[in-house]
Amino acid sequence: MMIYLMCLVLFCIGLYCIVIKRNLIKIIIGIGIVHYAVNLAFILVAYRFKGRAPINAPGQVIENMVDPLPQALVLTAIVIGLAVTALIVAIAVRIYEKYGTFDITKIRRLKG
Amino acid sequence: MNNEPERPGMTLIVKTITRLTVGLILLFGIYIVLHGHITPGGGFAGGVIIALSFIHLMLAFGKELALKKVSEAQASFFESLGAILFLSIAILGFVGGYFFLNFFLKGEPFRLFSAGIIPLCNIAICLKVGAGLFAVFVALVLLKGIGEKGK
Repeated sequence: MMIYLMCLVLFCIGLYCIVIKRNLIKIIIGIGIVHYAVNLAFILVAYRFKGRAPINAPGQVIENMVDPLPQALVLTAIVIGLAVTALIVAIAVRIYEKYGTFDITKIRRLKG
Repeated sequence: MNNEPERPGMTLIVKTITRLTVGLILLFGIYIVLHGHITPGGGFAGGVIIALSFIHLMLAFGKELALKKVSEAQASFFESLGAILFLSIAILGFVGGYFFLNFFLKGEPFRLFSAGIIPLCNIAICLKVGAGLFAVFVALVLLKGIGEKGK
C-alpha cells in the first residue's frame, strides 16, 4: 500500500510544479513528472511479489510472471508522452520567440 | 579563454568525450534492434538510442556537422521508408493468407536468426522511430533559426 501512496506523492509533486511555477520550462518538467507517476502506478498495479519479467527464455517454466498487459500499455503511453513533450516544447519555443520570455505572468497581451 | 571561438559547439572536454562515446552508443542501438526478438528492447528502444547518438553529436559539435551526416531531407526519407517497409511486410502476409502472416523462415527459437518477420519489423520500426525523433529535434533547432531570421 505504501508504494502506491508514494506514487500519489510523486503525482502531487508534478501537479504542484504545474500549478505553482511560472517558468514554462518548469511547467513542462512538471508535466513529465506527472506522466512518469501515472506510468509507475500502472507498472506497480501489475507487479507480483517475487515475480519475474515476462520474457520467455530457454529452459524456463512459465510461472510467477508479472502481468505483461500494463507494460505494453505503458510502452504506448511513453510513445504518446514523447510526442506530447515534443509538441509542448515546440509551442514553448514559438512563445519565447514572440514574447522574449518564459514567464507565464508576462505572456498576457495579444501580439502579432 | 577564447582559443577557438570560430568553432561551434561545446568545450573541448565535451567534444573529446563525444568523439569517444558516440560510436559506442550507435553500436548499442544497433545491438538492441537486432536482438529485439529475444531480449528486452526492440525497434522503438533501439531507434531512440540510435537517434540519441546523432542528437549527442549535434549537441556537442553544432548543427552543421550533424546535418552533414544526416540531413533533414534524409531523415524525412528514412522515416517514410520505415513506415512503407513495415506496411509492405504486413501486406506481404497476404501471399500466404492473412495480414501480418509470419511467412518468413522461422529458424530455431532463442537464436539470433529466428522468429520470421519480427526482426524485419523491428528494423522498419527502428528506421521510423530513429529518423522521426532526429527529425523532431532538427525541426526544433531549425525553428529557432527561422524565428531569429524573421526579426
